[in-house]
Amino acid sequence: MNAQERVNAAANLLVQSPPGEINDCLTDIRVIINDDNLLQQGIDQALREYNIAQFVTVQSPKGDHHVIISDAGRVGGDTEDRFFDPRTKTSFFFDHLSLEASDPNTEEANEDIEGYRAALDSAAQEYINEHYKEGVTSVFASGSNNLTIQLVANRYNPQNFWSGRWRSRYEIDLDAKTVTGKILVTVHYYEQGNVQLTTEFTPTLTLPPSSPSPQAARQLIAQITEQENTYQTSLSDTYHDLGEKRFKTLRRALPMTRNKIDWDKVTGYKLGAELTASRGGFGS
Amino acid sequence: MGDVLDSMLDLMRRLPPTRIEENLNALLGMCPEYADDLLGSVDQPLKLLTDKSTGREYLACDYNRDGDSYRSPWSNEYDPPLEDGTVPSAKLRRLEIAANDAFDTYREMYYEGGVSSVFLWDQDDGGFAGVVLFRKVISPDASGQAPDGTSEDATGSWQSIHVFEASERGRTAHYKLTSTVMLELVTKSAGVGDVNLSGSLTRQNEVDASISDQSSHIANTGRMIEDMEIKMRNLLQEVYFGKTRDIVYDLRSVEGLERAKQQRALQKELVGLIKR
Repeated sequence: MNAQERVNAAANLLVQSPPGEINDCLTDIRVIINDDNLLQQGIDQALREYNIAQFVTVQSPKGDHHVIISDAGRVGGDTEDRFFDPRTKTSFFFDHLSLEASDPNTEEANEDIEGYRAALDSAAQEYINEHYKEGVTSVFASGSNNLTIQLVANRYNPQNFWSGRWRSRYEIDLDAKTVTGKILVTVHYYEQGNVQLTTEFTPTLTLPPSSPSPQAARQLIAQITEQENTYQTSLSDTYHDLGEKRFKTLRRALPMTRNKIDWDKVTGYKLGAELTASRGGFGS
Repeated sequence: MGDVLDSMLDLMRRLPPTRIEENLNALLGMCPEYADDLLGSVDQPLKLLTDKSTGREYLACDYNRDGDSYRSPWSNEYDPPLEDGTVPSAKLRRLEIAANDAFDTYREMYYEGGVSSVFLWDQDDGGFAGVVLFRKVISPDASGQAPDGTSEDATGSWQSIHVFEASERGRTAHYKLTSTVMLELVTKSAGVGDVNLSGSLTRQNEVDASISDQSSHIANTGRMIEDMEIKMRNLLQEVYFGKTRDIVYDLRSVEGLERAKQQRALQKELVGLIKR
């Protein structure tokens, strides 16, 4: 591999980082590549992709809440790295490596849809406060007919070698009257091992028939709450099935006899004659 | 700056276990000079091969590899054939044949299927070392049902890699064991979408045991590996179905957090009342 290929390969590894561990992975990759200048240019795009895909959050330049860095919140072109905090109508520059927001600028919201967006945002905040210990939600509007609700919850516990992330995204098309959702859960447990849970579920939702109103917003969030509750319960059932059935089919806890193996018998029958002939140590 | 190999191993412990081979290949491409160290330190999924002369299946890993060929425990032959492939001494090969027999019995009793393989090699200090491998895979049948009836589209696999060193000291032997179990569980269904619970755990142990003749080594490593697998099966159960599930519930609560808090407070109050 030439230098550029090595950096590309590194970028491809970096985007696989588990929740909360991108700095650990980056530290490893810096040692492996051993050329910070080259690496910095090469992983820029990977970090951007990772941060958007993983619903990375940043403290809003105005206000004390966090906002999700989202492709739905982009201001300007794809490489400008200006993002939008819809709650305070502020755009800002986001540094994908230091994860800091700067250069805030007040923007104008689309007044046709802002009322509905704000109602969704406020209902979604109530929802995450009730069901997520450390949740962040952002609701983005684009044009007069499209909204995106995103929520993310992270738990990082490196002292006990685990981390977890829950991501949900719902895209509302008022014109087509559709809501498409996606829920992604990632868990990493790495004490003397490396065990990961990854899930992907696309729930089915229906847009409340009434025109966009605060009441319709609450109805939609209520539907999301119900869907996510049902999903989490199903996931729990799947855990039960995997543990009680699949795991047992793979390997028994004990043989059918309910006793551990009598190794003297297992070896005794076949081997006695064959091996007593070779008494003594190896290499002698 | 840290050590390159340590950094690569740390990275492999963090990246998704479902992509071990792909990521290992990327690292090998990035740092070819570390190929031997990497291949010797990262457990990869076991390959299933068929012994051409006996027709019997066996498992392939870095320990029975020589160049691009793998040695079968049944015929002792390399595939593709090698003129001068490394093989154990005649005495150790006799023990290897017997160990394969014994662990095959063990495999049938615990796994009721799957494949096992044992490979031994002579050590420079006069002792020997070995690896005991088990692999069982379950895949959906033609109707799409897993053999256990769990889900529409379900697969799973268990792979154990037990590497040990044995050194004789008079009438006792000292064994050092490193065991890795890779467990993969995959489910796809309408109600829950895609669920992939995969990875590995590694544990070590050291055991002293008496030896009366060469077959003692099989009984001793047999007991040691059986105990280790029992322990690791419990650990896997705890981590896979306990810990990772608890983390999901730590992220999100089905029950409202406010309500849960109120219930805890109420319960505390009741306990207080009863105590009085």
